[in-house]
This record gives sequence, structure tokens and C-alpha cells, in this order.
Amino acid sequence: MTGREAATLGVQLAGLALAPLLAGGVQSVKARLQGRVGSGPLQPYRELRRLWGRSAVEPIGAGPVYRAAPAVVGAALALCVLVVPVATVGAGWPAGHDLLVVIGLLALARVAMALSAWDTGGGFGMMGASRDLSFAAVGEALLVAVALVASIPAGTTDLRAMWAASSGPEVWAEPRHWCGALAMGLVVVLETGRQPIDNPDTHLELTMIHEGPLLEYAGRDLAVLQWAAAARHWVVLVLAAGLFLPHPSEIAGGLAALALGVIALVVALGVAETWHAKMRLLRVPPILLAGTALALLGVVSWAAGGGA
Amino acid sequence: MRLQAAGLAATGMAGGICLLDGRSVGSGFSSELQPAVGVDPLSGLMLMMIALVAAPAAAYAAVYLTAAANPRALALLTGLFPLALIGVVTARDATLILGSWELMTLVPAAAVLIAGDAHGAGNERRAVFEYLAITHIGGAGVWVAVLVLAEHGALGDPAGLASAGAGVQALVAVAGLIGFGTKAGLVPLHSWLPRVHPLAPSNISAVMSGVMVKVALYGMVRLLTEWLGGPAAWVGYAVLALGAVSALSGIVQALFQRDLKRLLAFSTIENVGIVTLALGASVILADRGEAAWAALALAAALLHALNHAVVKALLFLGAGSLERAGAGRDLDRMGGLLRRMPWTGAAVLTGCLAIAGLPVLGGFASEWATLQALLGLGRQDAVGVALAGGLAAAALALTVGLGAVCFVKVIGLSLLGAPRVPEAARAVETPRAMWAPLAALAAACLALGLAPGLLLPALADLSPGGGGLPRGAGIDVAGTSLPTLGLALFLAVATAALLTLGGRRAAAPAPVWACGQAVEPPLAWTSAAFTKPILLSMWGLLRPEREVEVLSRGGVPDEVRHRGAVPHLIDSALYAPVLRIALAGAGAARRLQSGSLRLYAGYLVGLVVLLLVLARTGVLG
Repeated sequence: MTGREAATLGVQLAGLALAPLLAGGVQSVKARLQGRVGSGPLQPYRELRRLWGRSAVEPIGAGPVYRAAPAVVGAALALCVLVVPVATVGAGWPAGHDLLVVIGLLALARVAMALSAWDTGGGFGMMGASRDLSFAAVGEALLVAVALVASIPAGTTDLRAMWAASSGPEVWAEPRHWCGALAMGLVVVLETGRQPIDNPDTHLELTMIHEGPLLEYAGRDLAVLQWAAAARHWVVLVLAAGLFLPHPSEIAGGLAALALGVIALVVALGVAETWHAKMRLLRVPPILLAGTALALLGVVSWAAGGGA
Repeated sequence: MRLQAAGLAATGMAGGICLLDGRSVGSGFSSELQPAVGVDPLSGLMLMMIALVAAPAAAYAAVYLTAAANPRALALLTGLFPLALIGVVTARDATLILGSWELMTLVPAAAVLIAGDAHGAGNERRAVFEYLAITHIGGAGVWVAVLVLAEHGALGDPAGLASAGAGVQALVAVAGLIGFGTKAGLVPLHSWLPRVHPLAPSNISAVMSGVMVKVALYGMVRLLTEWLGGPAAWVGYAVLALGAVSALSGIVQALFQRDLKRLLAFSTIENVGIVTLALGASVILADRGEAAWAALALAAALLHALNHAVVKALLFLGAGSLERAGAGRDLDRMGGLLRRMPWTGAAVLTGCLAIAGLPVLGGFASEWATLQALLGLGRQDAVGVALAGGLAAAALALTVGLGAVCFVKVIGLSLLGAPRVPEAARAVETPRAMWAPLAALAAACLALGLAPGLLLPALADLSPGGGGLPRGAGIDVAGTSLPTLGLALFLAVATAALLTLGGRRAAAPAPVWACGQAVEPPLAWTSAAFTKPILLSMWGLLRPEREVEVLSRGGVPDEVRHRGAVPHLIDSALYAPVLRIALAGAGAARRLQSGSLRLYAGYLVGLVVLLLVLARTGVLG
């Protein structure tokens, strides 16, 4: 292993610790745009520390599924962070670097949360779980369509090869890349649970999606779940920056471009959240389907060009 | 029963050896009309699948059937059914294929009638009649296909049909797809499946949904990879479209079912659709000369068929156990059964997670491989092929996503939360002889998820273009890898670490947060409530029925009654007109039978005159 490969490995592991910074970053950008001072990007760390010291509160009648859910969600997201490489040469983990595995792990986390809601039987948790799974069904079609359009230059869904194949300025001449980038934007908003699809700051239970099942958790369980929400930011932002934002093919430049790309996306999320209100729930599936169609249009445009 | 299970297990092991060794025993396919029997690797896979499902089902039936009204007759049929299935997959000539095919259709019909007569319900007869009518009309396709193949000597020789011309090839392809597709439950030929599968005793349902539909798929695989001798691309597109439509409409219907066994039957249609989708991709890729990709698609289809056989058998047997324990079949009247029935509950939970396609259970590995094949199809550089691949991949992803909603619903309603009715609160665990087969099937789900790579290369070798995949626990194809063991190990270690770190410090109990309201059983979420967002977003497509009745007393609303249902649109839109026309035709034909002797003599004279005229004009030669 060369020094540079070790560096990418280090960045990837650091992702586990850096993830809350992204969620905090979006919050502080939002605060600035709304004319507030805000609590700074480090606020999620303070919240995690506070929650870690608190004792748990458990809903009456909850069973083993409720208790296991936060651990499963945390483990799935941690594995996701390790599977998504941060540059061309992600070290060869025994867990692989496949994009479809990431989709499967995100689904595992989602299902674990929904089952915890069923176990407690709380109405708000169920409402959130039911909406989350319904949107995710269409969201998976969108994700797979994006995976298809992004995997065309590399010819495989191994993220390291996809990263290498999407580097350099040439890909920007293809309409395929633009279609894929726009569709990926929808994936980012959906999976991070940000406005206009979901609002992570809401205190109104009736409008919650991702936050609904979290209502029943406290203490360390809640800390793990909040970290997992931040890790989901890391995973999709690193994916978006690595597959669809400009970056050179060598490692040091790649890491720098990754940092810039992720920061740009964090700012974009903050701007979008300030600028756009949450949309009606039933408008979400058609928009996700439109994104799927857009990605497929990219595939067709590439095939129509004779594979160039 | 024990002996049956042991015999089946031995057969399955022999089949497994044939598959993994790539060995053939007995005679090969012959177009002579003389009974011939043999096993090749594909038949070996089917034998393994039959044993994996039928052996636990037989062990389960030993206890399960003792409570039935006609245990002896049902036990006989339980034993006969796998024999008929084995007959189809080992038959090597037209007579045996068609004979055991018919036997395979009739045995479950008899089982449904015997089980149904016992509790005196009338709808069994109607369902069985529909089953026999639809599968026999469709089954005619199998007869046409197999007999035409035998006539051209193409059963044993792939080149036989190629010399017969494109017209005959198309005839065989269409007849075969209709025949095998009806039995496999492909939409729109599936109407019998959700009616009959739930009615049979659970051990028979498990074999029907687990392997009988797979035997039909086996016929389709033979047709597409061997008998047609390299089918044309349009056959591939037709199969791909049938698969996508079946997968999506199967899971959408399953989502809105409340009857657990009926839900499982619709989910069978979905999974048959997924297998068919991969088969279609395999044909198109083979036609484009992409032998390696075609082999991957075929292997993914067969692996998914095996996974689904195991899972669906587990879930049907589990549904039987829940019913026997006193919880019934209505999902809205269960709840909290994981606590009351820990063994059965844990096995059903594993099965639901596996069929929802979650890592690292069986369903995930085969759906991953299928998706890889479809993405490979979508990366072809011809517009039509790429679009077909892209649409198929998106359809599969949507199906898997909806499948997750569906089976989260099943787990939540049946196993988790508080009991919804007193009967569910009184449910007791079944005897060990009934939950042990479930546990064995759940272990098989896990094993198929952990080491799919031990099987996949052998399956890819069944492709005419050859496979040549590397062997190992994980899957290593298409420039990427699914290291199942590494993923499973990491998930297990990290989950255990987080559970320990979470440190169960005495958690303070508190009521569930419902804005301060007390949570009572009538407030519990139902099947309809959980799937409402999907129903609302597909309102125009599904056309649900809805009745709201407000009972008011003296102008004050006293009670609101609500009833909603999602109709089975294909039944009313497609089958109802066909049925009407058939009945009208039968009525017209009846008018010919007046009973008058003079009229019959007139028919005879007319026929003779007609024949004479035809002979005179030289039409008859």
C-alpha cells in the first residue's frame, strides 16, 4: 500500500467522524441565510455528547425489534461510509465497493427504522415510516436509474472504477452526464431528508417523515440514530461529488476536489432549504419518477450516439 | 411422512451433485414417443429445489395434517405431489413430459377439494374449477409446443427447429410461453393463482408456490436455452415485458391484501416476474452475442428461483402455523405474535426480510445479480436494447422497493406491537415438529445469502454460451463484487458493538408519544393505513372502491363507517368479457341441440353433402 492509498483509507475512516460536520454545515449555512448567527457547524457534536450522557426512555410494550433497530441502522450506515470510496484508489476493503450494495444497505436501515415504529405502535412513528418506505420505493427506481447512467463510462458498478471513469473534462461533453447529475440532485435531497421533500428541523409531528420513528428514542439510541442521519449526508454527498462533480483522476487532486465538491453541495442544500418550502407529500412520487425518466433519457441519448 | 422427507432429501442431494459436478445421468432428451428418464445439471437444480421445499413441507405435514378432516387422503396427495414434479423435471420424452405435467396440475386440485369439502365451504369448488379451466386452456400451449418440437425432432437436438423455419419457431415460442406462462402465473394468465394457492392446506400451498410455479419456469428455461435453438430477439423482449408487468402488478396487488396467504400468492406472481425478467434479459443478451452477460442473467434467474422457492415455502408454512395457533389469516387481526410464538415468529421474520431483498439474506444476492444483468443490458449501445434494459432495471428496483413496504407491513401487523384481538393474545407456540422445518428453511435463506457464490458459477455453466464465473463464497462478476461474507461479518460485529455500547442502563418506561393521548387498540395502524400513501399516489391506476357512510341522529353525526378495497382490475377488465363471450357462445351452441331426431338427420345429410362438394372440388384431394 502506497502512502497515498493509506491517505485515502484514512479519509474514508475519518468519514465516520466527519459526517456530523456536514449536517452541522447545512444548518449553519441556513442560519446565515436567514439572518441568524446560528450555532456553528460543530453543534451536532455537542448534541451527540449530551445525548450520550443521558439515560434511555423506553415506550411501554416495546420489544427486541425496537431495541435492536438503532444498532442495525448505525451498523448499516457505518458500512455504507466504508463502502463509498473517497478517491480512485479506495483501499480494497473486504466489504467491496459496489454501488448496488450501498442501495441495499440504505434499504436495510430504512426497514429497521420502520419495524421499530411497528414495534412501538406509535401513530407518528408509523406515519413517518409509511411515508418513508413509500417514497423510498420510487426512490430506489430513481437510484438504480442513476446507477445505470453513471456506470456507463466504467461499464461496472464498482465505485472505484466509476470514480476513475468520470474524472476529467471529457464527460461534460455528454448529455448523459448532465441528465445523470440532475437526477442525482433529487437523490441527494431524498436521501438526506431535506426540504423540499422532508424537513429535519420540524417539531410538528404530523409532517414528519424521517423524524417520526425517532420520537420514541432517547439517550444513546437517539445519539446513534442522529449520527446515522448525518452519515447518510456523508454517503450521498460523497457519491454525488465523486460521480457527477468535476475532479482529476490522481489521488491528491481527487481528494481536494472531493472536499470542494462536498462543501459546494452542503452550501447548495442550505440554499435550497432556505429558498424552497416543503412540497405536498403526494407531489413527491411523481417528481421522483420524473427524475427516473430523466436518467433513462440520459441512457437513451448515450445509446443513440452509438455509445460515444 | 418422515420416510417421505428422507427420500426427498436423498433425491435432492443426488440432484445437487449433478448440478455442481455438471454431470448427466440416464438418457438425454429424445423426440421418440418412448418413455425416457434422465437427469442433467438443470434437472439436478430442480431436484434440489423440490427437495429443499418438499422435505420440510412433508416433515411439517406430519403434525399439521393430524388436525385436518381427511388426514390420510391429504397425506397421500402430499406424497404424490413432489413425485409428479420430479416426473416433469426428469422426463426426457414428450409422453412423460405431458403425462406428469397433467398429474402436477391435478394433484393440488384434488387436495384443495378434499380439504375444502371438510369444512363445507362452497367457494373452493369454484376456485378449483377456474384453476383447472385456465391452466388447461393455457396448458394446451404446452401440448402444442412439445408435440411440434417432437415432430421436428427438436427435443434432443437444438438444431432441429432451426431447420424447420421461422414460422414453426415462432409457433413453438408463442405456444410454449402461453403454456408455461399460465402455469407459472405470469400476468395476464395468473388469475387462478391467488385463488387456489391460499385455499390448499399450507404444506401443499408451500409446494405449489415454492416449486410448482418453478417447474413451469423450468419448462420456459428449457424452451429458451435449448429447444428453440437460439430464439430471436423479439422472444426476449416479449419475455422481458411479461416479467416486468408480472413483477410490478404482482407486488402492487400483494401490498393491498389483508389475507396473509392471498398476499403471499400475489407475491409469488411478483417473484416469478423477476425470474422471467432475468430470463428475457438473458435471451436478448445472447442474441447480441454477449455470452458472458447472458450467462450471468440466466444464473441470476435460476438463483432467484431457488431463493424464492425456499422463502415462499417458509412463509406459507409459517402462515399455516399462525393459523393453527389461533391467529387466523387476517393480518389486521394478529399482532404481537413474535412474543407469543418465538420460534415460528423468528423464522417468519427472517423469511420476510429475505423476500424483501435486504442484505445479507438470500433475496438480496439474487436480486443484486439480476440487477447487474439488467444494468449490463442497459449499457448496450443500441437505443432499443438500452431503453429496455433501463426500464427493466427501474421496474425491478421499484418492485423491490414496494416489496419492502409489503413485507414490513406483514412483519409489523402479524409479529410486532400489541395483540389486536383477544384470539391473537391467546396464541400459543406450535409443537417443535412444526417449527423445526421452519427453522431449517430460515437457515437455508441465510446460507443462500452468505454463500451465493458457491452456486452461481454452476448455474452460469447451464447457459449455452458457457459461464466461467469464479467460484467463492461471494459473487464476483461484471467488474464488481458482492463479498457477502465480509458484509455480513461487518454488520454483525458493528451491530453487536453498538448494542453493547448502547449499554442497557435501566431505561425508564414511558407511554408512546401520541401528543399526550392514551394509545388504545382501536388506534392501532391497519394494513390499509400503512399502504395509504402508495394507494393515493396510484389512485388513477388502481381505481379503489371506497364507501363512506355517515350515520347521523338528529343532524348530529353519530358514527362514520368506511369501507375500502382495491379491486383486481385484470379480473374484471380482461376475464369478465372473455367469460361473457364464452357463455354466449355456449348458449348459441346449445340451441343446435334441440333433441329432435329430424334435425339431427338433417345435420348428417348436410355434412355428407358438404363433404361430397368438397371432394368434388378437389379440396380434400
